Amino acid sequence: MSVPGVKLVTIGERLLVDNDRVAARNHRRLSEAGVLTVNIMAAPGAGKTSFIVRTLEALRGRARAGVIEGDIAGSIDAETVLAAGAHGAVQINTGGNCHLEADMVERALHDLDLDGLDVLFVENVGNLVCPTQWALGEHVKLCLVGAAEGDDKPVKYPPMFAASDAIVLNKTDLIDLVDFDRAFFTSSVRALNPAAPIFDVSCRSGAGIPVWADWLLAQRQGVSGRDSARLGMAPIGGT
Amino acid sequence: MAAFLLERVEHHAGRLEASKVTAINLLVGERSCLGDDALRFSFDLLTAGTVAEGARITIRRTPMRFHCPTCDGAYVPAEADFACPSCLTIGQVTDDGGEMLIESVEIER
Repeated sequence: MSVPGVKLVTIGERLLVDNDRVAARNHRRLSEAGVLTVNIMAAPGAGKTSFIVRTLEALRGRARAGVIEGDIAGSIDAETVLAAGAHGAVQINTGGNCHLEADMVERALHDLDLDGLDVLFVENVGNLVCPTQWALGEHVKLCLVGAAEGDDKPVKYPPMFAASDAIVLNKTDLIDLVDFDRAFFTSSVRALNPAAPIFDVSCRSGAGIPVWADWLLAQRQGVSGRDSARLGMAPIGGT
Repeated sequence: MAAFLLERVEHHAGRLEASKVTAINLLVGERSCLGDDALRFSFDLLTAGTVAEGARITIRRTPMRFHCPTCDGAYVPAEADFACPSCLTIGQVTDDGGEMLIESVEIER
């Protein structure tokens, strides 16, 4: 303010306020449609797509799930999840962007029949850093980490573990092979996040998937919208 | 990120009837992913011909802090783990260090 004509004005506003606004709109829309939406964040190679495929198998006859696949380029993952029984899949190519943003998801929602879905998985771009900042409108932020990545992931990437509503440790069949210290991992996660459930799974064997799928369906009950009591009643026909 | 920043800065410049934005002051926590150099580089490219052309970006960084229940105090953990440096108890992360705010702007009318 020492320079004449220059004025310092306090703003005090979140930098990503525009993204937050679109995310809130997505959230409202998904809640009204009764579609529990899970933002899956992980490093490349953690097993995001395999995890979705395993979960689709576990949900078969219990809930109809759609998938939004975020990737820098390509459409292989969308084809994979459709083959695994997804009731709709949209591929978003971010064109080099290292994370999904709320407006990308908003556009993808136009291409999905939300009334025909109970659950929506949004597979974020493989990255443990940037996706944390960008709300998409999800109900559950999920962090997936493979045991082979090491037990120090929470210490190296605190924001991801602090922001997550659920944490999945995948590739538990490798724990002994890669000297993964489960106690250190858990205590580091708990320092950042006292409440989020931690699910141990192996997408290779399918171990742990039923427990995770039951938890997921329980979360679905909390999402407002149409006919949530229908969930859990098998099978879902095409009425 | 730079595009989002420019959009907000242009919005506030319009609201404040500024002819020029000379400086932007950000508050970015250590737990937020925002690189200084990458942001400045992209912002400079984007702002050519805009009200924010040539604006100086200052980024104030806040550290990630934990609370130690044993010592009942705040600490900044070492790199390898989250233990309290005085008593080795693993504390609980606080909100400090998660911010990503536009604190203020300097404008000319």
